[in-house]
Amino acid sequence: MDSHRVSGNAATATLLFALSLLVCWLAARDFMKMWRDDVLVPLPEYRRIMLSDYLPKLAGTPVDTPVFIQDSGRPGAAVMVLGGTHPNEPSSFLSAVVLLENARVEAGRLIVVPFAMHAGFRHNFPQEASPSFLHFTLPDGSERVFRYGSRDMQHILMWPGPDIYKHKPSGQELSGNENKNLNRSYPGDPNGTLAEQLGFAIMELIRRENVDLAFDLHEASPEYPVIDAIVAHERSMELAAAVAMELKGMDIEIRLEPSPKNLRGLSHREWGDGTDTLPILMETANPSQGRLRGRTDEALALTGKDKAYAKARDMGNLFIPYSNGDQPVALRVARHLTAIRLFLEMLGLFHEGKDIVVEGIPHYEDMIAKGVGYYLKPLPID
Amino acid sequence: MTLDWFWPEGFYASMMILAFALGAFALKLPIAVAMSGGAVLGAILAGEGIPVRHLVEGMFGYIDTILIIATAMIFMKTVQAIGLMESIAAWGIRRFRNYPVLLSIGVTLLIMFPGMLTGSSTACCLTTGALVAPVLMHLGVPRVKTGALIAIAALLGMIAPPINIPVMIIGGGIDMPYVGFAVPLLAATMPLAVFAALLLAWPSLRRREGQNDEALEKELARMSSVPLTWRLCTPFAVLVVLMAGEQFMPQYFPFLGMPLQFLIASASAVFTGRRWNVLASATEAIDDALPVLGILMGVGMFIQVMTLNGVRGFVVISALSIPEWALYLSIAVSIPAFGAISSFGAASVLGVPFMFALLAKDQIITATALALIASLGDLVPPTALAGIFAGQVVGEKNYFKILKVCVVPAVAIALWGIAFIAYAGPLASWLRWV
Amino acid sequence: MQIVYRVIIAFILLLTIRCAYREKDFWKQATAALVVIPLVLRLLLIK
Repeated sequence: MDSHRVSGNAATATLLFALSLLVCWLAARDFMKMWRDDVLVPLPEYRRIMLSDYLPKLAGTPVDTPVFIQDSGRPGAAVMVLGGTHPNEPSSFLSAVVLLENARVEAGRLIVVPFAMHAGFRHNFPQEASPSFLHFTLPDGSERVFRYGSRDMQHILMWPGPDIYKHKPSGQELSGNENKNLNRSYPGDPNGTLAEQLGFAIMELIRRENVDLAFDLHEASPEYPVIDAIVAHERSMELAAAVAMELKGMDIEIRLEPSPKNLRGLSHREWGDGTDTLPILMETANPSQGRLRGRTDEALALTGKDKAYAKARDMGNLFIPYSNGDQPVALRVARHLTAIRLFLEMLGLFHEGKDIVVEGIPHYEDMIAKGVGYYLKPLPID
Repeated sequence: MTLDWFWPEGFYASMMILAFALGAFALKLPIAVAMSGGAVLGAILAGEGIPVRHLVEGMFGYIDTILIIATAMIFMKTVQAIGLMESIAAWGIRRFRNYPVLLSIGVTLLIMFPGMLTGSSTACCLTTGALVAPVLMHLGVPRVKTGALIAIAALLGMIAPPINIPVMIIGGGIDMPYVGFAVPLLAATMPLAVFAALLLAWPSLRRREGQNDEALEKELARMSSVPLTWRLCTPFAVLVVLMAGEQFMPQYFPFLGMPLQFLIASASAVFTGRRWNVLASATEAIDDALPVLGILMGVGMFIQVMTLNGVRGFVVISALSIPEWALYLSIAVSIPAFGAISSFGAASVLGVPFMFALLAKDQIITATALALIASLGDLVPPTALAGIFAGQVVGEKNYFKILKVCVVPAVAIALWGIAFIAYAGPLASWLRWV
Repeated sequence: MQIVYRVIIAFILLLTIRCAYREKDFWKQATAALVVIPLVLRLLLIK
């Protein structure tokens, strides 16, 4: 490998390293922009606490995340909506944010955790070329910005990591990077890794707040079979089946999947086995996280429009219709919110005394027509 | 292929590859620099300017891999410096000199060894490859055949367990843990190692033509100047204990990670063998490793930009749209061809989508086979890492002469890999039964 | 363990810099300059 002969010396080495440091500085500036938290504008009815209230050692770590509780003061069920388990699945945290900024509880309690894997919003996954930020225009012309993060916790927080991740307590083995995945960490361990502590704190929240129904919102690649789907634990299956039928009645196609008993560490399995809650995991389709996607940018994350996926659809490789060649984020949020609304309406029918009344959840057609920005609140001026 | 589909991603892809080829061939730049150039051009064409954040982020895909390679190389240089490596080689050659079959297989396995530990074919060529090259030539094996054996054994070493980076890359893409690969990887590599040994070394060793006994004896005496004792083997023993302990008795062994294990094992060499200059041998190790580390950085940037500008999706969907009957052929051709850029890159960019296309097959066997085929990328010019470094250690300036001799074993590797995929089901149950 | 790994990164970073200063070929120095970038950012725990 004879390089083209250009001779080097101490001066050229110094020059090159100066250039390296410049590149480091430029890149670091971009990386560290993601360390600033997104601003939320919750309705005043919500009380804001931190997840570390359920596991004090998380306080002050980048893993600690805000928890919003709205108590109507009237008896009823307690329902939790967890968004942002995987920060590269935007409809998940955006649905939670829309609830936070719009939903009024008339009976029962609503708990919203918009950024469950808080430390996953602080970076993008290498070689995925994800956009770092998503921008939304509000009706008053102002703008709201949310981070598009990575499926995993920020790597520097759990580095170095093992080659193989052993799930506690089952001993199930997964590839090493799954140790940073919140949705493989449950039931967690207060003395374990940061991810296990996070998983434990969320389980603790469910237990201490006596959460009756708990949602874990997700997105998946269009080529992945479990998509546009509800995954339900045995105990929540009856309710989920009723909701799925109702959705089909509204011409919203949905799959209903039982939570596999041998796949450990996931919310729909461990929440159900380790607490009294009824766990529900839901998936919408996000082309910007898929492996078949073409050009990767903010537009793809927001519109889901992609010629590579359109071709994959023609080849029969997708598990969603994708007939228009797009999958806008408003549609994905609308799916999540509509399903959540139906679950809340039907909970009391299947579990006596567990009624919950929540007003202000945007309707399916409205969300699709007006877009996510319409339902976000302008930032306070200061 | 319609123009609609080709434009603009196909154009970006062509220009990125062209820029890379121009840099690597015409300007003779290091592969790492040529790849960076291709990546930057791909971003500029797509209207992204020079996206520093993306370029640097792409490199981080291999941050752990470069630590492993760098520390493994330090370990290899250390066991070389204390005289352990030469001493073992001399012992083996003396012991098996009159058994040409065993000798040729033994030498092949010895060349493979560093790659098994580091997952890098370069490590094989530059350490044990460099070690056995003069011996093989003194034993009468022609220069280009020696080079070819080193190159092929280096590929197989990179694939053989315990460390196989292409499988880890593919597994990362489909959420498959790196578990249960030891036996399939042995089945994929060992028969081929025997075949390569018998094809390339055995005929000359058996005929004993051109053997230079005097020179050989002198070489062996030099090699065994540090006597082979159990104590001399300390660094290997420490490494094996740490690795096996972490794997099989995690309750007693702390999690260290491979880079630290390699460094601890290297440090244990202070107590044995020839005295050596720690700083000098560590610097030499990094110097040897730098081209590979640089290539990984270049591949990281290249892949990130391919993802950014849509080339990745273009390549993936184009590969998947191949009719089923041609799938095996396209695997056998496209993956090694992409290896012209990088075999690790081929595992990531093509290995993962082919895995998706083959999801109905046994996943462990299929990933094993795809990794085996991906290794061939290290023989494909211009990068041809294994060919280039093998040429360097045997003193053959024109590495194409070595590549020509590699054609037969390379075709055997491709066919063996395809056979693994075709018979993945029965093979999986048979290997489990074994 | 993280502090140990930061020391390892620093060690490899210094060796890489040392190699570049002993290298007589500009483009090989450039390869080293490339490898240095992620090592620095990881050492500082930025990425």
